Amino acid sequence: MRTKINIYLVEYAINSLLRQKYKTLFITLVLTALIFLLSSIFFITNSIKYELQSTVDSLPEITVQKINGGRHYDIEVSVADDILAITGVKSAVARVWGYYYFENAGVNFSVVGIDEYEEQYKNSLTNVAKTLDFSASSMILGAGVKKIINENYYKEYFNFIKPDGTLKRVDIGGVFDTDTELESNDVIVMSKESVREIFDMSENKATDIVVKVANEDEIATVALKIKLLYPDSRVITKDDLKISYQNIFDYKSGIFLALFVVSLFTFFIIIYDKLSGLSSEEKREIGVLKAIGWRVDDVLKEKFYEGFIVSFFSYMSGVILALFFVYMLRAPLLQNIFTGYSQLKTSFTLPFVFDMQTLALIFFLSVPIYIAATIIPSWRSAALEADEVIR
Amino acid sequence: MMIELKNITKIYEVNKNNIVTALDNINLEIREGELVVLKGASGSGKSTILSLIAALSKPTSGEIVVETSRVSKLSDNFASDFRRDNIGFVFQKYNLIPALSVKENIILPLVPLNLHVKEIEEKLIRVLKMFHIEHKENQLVKNLSGGEQQRVAIARANVNNPKIILADEPTANLDEKLSLSFIEILKELKAEGKTIVVATHDPLFFNLEIVDRVVEIHQGVLL
Amino acid sequence: MILTPEVLAILILNAIFALFGMVAFVLSVKIYLNWDINSTSTAQYRLEKQSSLAATIIKYIFSIKVPLFIFFIFTLDKISNVLTGAMCAAGVVDATEQGTYLIVLKIINLYLFALWLKLNAEDVKDRNQPHTKLKFGFFALIFFLFIVEVILEWVMFSAIEIDKMVSCCGSIYSSSANSGISSIFSLGTAALLALFYGNYLLIVLFYFLKKRYLFAVTNMLFVVIAIIALILFFGTYIYELPSHHCPFCFLQRDYYYIGYLIYGMLFVGTFYGLVVGFFKESILSYKISLLFNSLYVILLSLYVVVYYLKNGVLL
Repeated sequence: MRTKINIYLVEYAINSLLRQKYKTLFITLVLTALIFLLSSIFFITNSIKYELQSTVDSLPEITVQKINGGRHYDIEVSVADDILAITGVKSAVARVWGYYYFENAGVNFSVVGIDEYEEQYKNSLTNVAKTLDFSASSMILGAGVKKIINENYYKEYFNFIKPDGTLKRVDIGGVFDTDTELESNDVIVMSKESVREIFDMSENKATDIVVKVANEDEIATVALKIKLLYPDSRVITKDDLKISYQNIFDYKSGIFLALFVVSLFTFFIIIYDKLSGLSSEEKREIGVLKAIGWRVDDVLKEKFYEGFIVSFFSYMSGVILALFFVYMLRAPLLQNIFTGYSQLKTSFTLPFVFDMQTLALIFFLSVPIYIAATIIPSWRSAALEADEVIR
Repeated sequence: MMIELKNITKIYEVNKNNIVTALDNINLEIREGELVVLKGASGSGKSTILSLIAALSKPTSGEIVVETSRVSKLSDNFASDFRRDNIGFVFQKYNLIPALSVKENIILPLVPLNLHVKEIEEKLIRVLKMFHIEHKENQLVKNLSGGEQQRVAIARANVNNPKIILADEPTANLDEKLSLSFIEILKELKAEGKTIVVATHDPLFFNLEIVDRVVEIHQGVLL
Repeated sequence: MILTPEVLAILILNAIFALFGMVAFVLSVKIYLNWDINSTSTAQYRLEKQSSLAATIIKYIFSIKVPLFIFFIFTLDKISNVLTGAMCAAGVVDATEQGTYLIVLKIINLYLFALWLKLNAEDVKDRNQPHTKLKFGFFALIFFLFIVEVILEWVMFSAIEIDKMVSCCGSIYSSSANSGISSIFSLGTAALLALFYGNYLLIVLFYFLKKRYLFAVTNMLFVVIAIIALILFFGTYIYELPSHHCPFCFLQRDYYYIGYLIYGMLFVGTFYGLVVGFFKESILSYKISLLFNSLYVILLSLYVVVYYLKNGVLL
C-alpha cells in the first residue's frame, strides 16, 4: 500500500531532528511549555467546573429570596407553607444561614442552621443532622474552619460575637467531610435556634426558602407561580445557577486563551524564523537528497514527519506534565487564580476529571498551528535548486 | 542512442549585470555502454553537462533526451523520479551525510519508495559486496577514510542499479593508489554494461584502455 | 457572542486556514492564468514549484478540516448545555439563522476539498500534468465557498445569545412544527424506505454494469435520501423512541458516538461514488464506494432488526 507509513522516512526524520539537537530542543521545550500551561488551565477549570456542578446538582431546584429595594431581606417562614401548596412541589424548607466574619483570622464562615426533624435540603446535611446534638449548644465544622479556629486557640468551643456585642458560646461537636470540598470547607452547621441567636433573627423569619420539585420539567412553571404569588421575591432555579457558573468559567478560561493566542502567535513567528534560516549544511543535504532521486513531495513529507514528531511529542509531554502538575502537585500558584480570594477556599483538592474533548481542544490549539508554521519554510527548502550541490 | 544533447545553451544569471554562459550551443551523443570522459579545466562547463543530463538543472535552450524521455522538459518531481530510476551520481565531495551510518547513507535513494525491508536489505547487500564495504556497514561515515567514503558514495549511486553513472571529478580528493582502485571499479561497472560519463581534469583518465572517447570542453564549447 | 475555549479554537484555526488559503488562492490564480507545461521558461519553472506549495497548503487545510468538523459538532453539543432549551447540537444550529446553511455548506466543502485532492492526485500522476489549470481554477471556486463558510461560522457564533430560549431537537424535527426541515416529514414511511433501498439497489446495479455517470448520480441522490431516511426512520430505532427524530443526538456519548461512524461511512461511500463520475480508471473507487454504502445500509438495517428481535414489534 502506498499510504502506509514509511518507517525508513520516519527514521530519517528522527535522525535529522537529532542532528540538529539545539534547534529541536529549543522548539520542543517552548512548545511543551506552552502546551503544559494551556493544559493545566483547562484541567483546573474543568475540575472546578465539575466541583461546582456537583455542588449545584446537590442544590435545591428553586431558591426563593425576598427582595426589598434591590436588596436581600429575611423572608417570612410562612411563605414556605404557601409554596408547599403549589401543585408539583415536593418540599419547601425555610433555611436559616449567613456569613460570620471572624476578625482574628480575617475570614468568612458560612453558618448553616438545621432542624432535627425537618427534611434536609441537602444529602450531606442529613448525615450531619444525625451526629449533631440538638439539645446542647453544639456545632459541626468543615475541615477548613476547624483548622482556622484551632490556630486561634479554640479547641473545644467557639465564641460568636452577637450583633449586640455579647458572646455566644458554642461547643465543637465534630468535623464533617463530603466528597466535594469546595462547598463544605468553610461551613459550620448548628441548630437553627443557635443561628438565629447569633444573627439576631426573629423566630418567624428565614434567610431564604428552598423548594424541591418532583418533576424536573415543571421547575420553570413552579418558579413562575411563586413569582406571581410573591412579586417581591427573587426566584432562582438550578439551571440559572448552572449556566452562570459555566459562563464565568468559560469567560475566565477565555481570557487565558486570549493570552495564549498572543504567545502562540509569538511562537509561530519564532518557529517560522528558526525554520527559515537554513544552514549551508542543511541546504547541501536537501540538494543531495534531490540529486539522488527524492521528489519535492518526499522532502516535504519528511519535513512534515519532523514537524509532526516534534509537535506530537511536545503535546504528549505537555499534557502528561500538566496532569502531574494539576492532580499530583495540586497546581501550586495557578490554582489561586481560579478559586477566588478567600483563604479558606484554596485548600480544596481538584477532583480528577478527564475528557476526550479537552484533549482534542488542546490538540487543535497546538499541533495544527505548529504544522502551519512549518509549511512555508519546509516548502522553501524542498524547492531549492538541486544543482547547487555539484557546483 | 542513450544520451543526446541537442543545441544546448546554459546561461547562469549570477545577478542582473553578471551573466555567465556556461555552455554555448553544444551537441553531444553518447551510446549505450560507452565510457566517455569530459576533459576540461574547472569552470569549463563539464559539471554543467552532468547536471543537465541528470535533470538537476534545465538548459536555457536546447533539448536533452535520455533513452526516450525528454529530460529537459521534466517537472521537478518527475526529474527526481528519472534520477532515481536511471542515474547514479558520484559527486566530487561524495556528498554523504556524515552523521549517518554507511548503511543509512546507501539506502537513502530508496527511502521515499517505501519498499519492504527485505527488498531494501537485498539491494543493500548487493552493493556492499560489490564495492567491498560489508564490514563497515554500521559505521558512521564521518569515521571512514577518504577512499572508503568514495566507495560508499559509489555504492549509493548504484543501489538502484541505474543504467547511467555520472562521476564529477571522482579522483580530485584521492591519492594515486586510490585513484587506481577507482578505475578498477569503473572497469567493473563498464563490464556490467553501464553507460558512464566522467568529468575530470585528471590526466590519469585520458589514455585508459576502457575509455571509449575523450571529449574536451573549453569555456562552454566542445573542441 | 459566545466565546468558549472551543469556539475560540475553531475561530483561530479558521483564521489560519483563511490566511494560508489566501496564499494558495493567489498562487492558484497565477498558475491558472500563466500555466504552460510546454514552456521551458524560468517563469513556468517557478510556477511548477509554487504549484507544489499551493497543493501542500490545500492538503494541510483539508486534513485538519475533517477532524475539526467532528470537533465542531462536538462543540455545538457542548454549547447546547449552556443554551436554555437546547439538548443537543440541533438546538444550537437552529438558534441562529445561519446554522443550517453553515452545516450544509461545511458538508459541501468537505466533498469539494476531497474531490480537489483526488483531482490533484490524478494530476501529479501524469508527466504532462493535464489537470493543473483545471484544479487551480477549481480551487479558486472552493476558496470562495470556504471564505463564505468562515464568515458564516463567525456570524453564527456571534449570533448565539446565551440567555435566549431555543428549540430542542424534539420540536425542530417533528411533523407538527412548521419549520422548513419539518416539511420532509410528510413522506410516508413505506415510500421513504422504498426510495432508500431502491436507490441502494440502483447503486449496486450500476456497480455491476459499470455505468460511471449513473453510478455517480445515484450516489449523489443517496446522500440526500440516506440522510432523510436516517432522520425519519432509522434514527427512531437508534433512539428506540418512535417520536425522536434528530440527526445530532446519536453523536453523543449516550449512543456510543455511533453517529460519527454512520456519517463517516456515508461520506466515504458517496464520495468515492462521485469520484467514479469524474475520473475514468477507478475500479478501486467503485469498490470502496460500494463497500461503505453497503456498510451504511447494513448498519442502519441492523438497528431495526435488532430492535425487532429484542422487542418483537416495530416502532
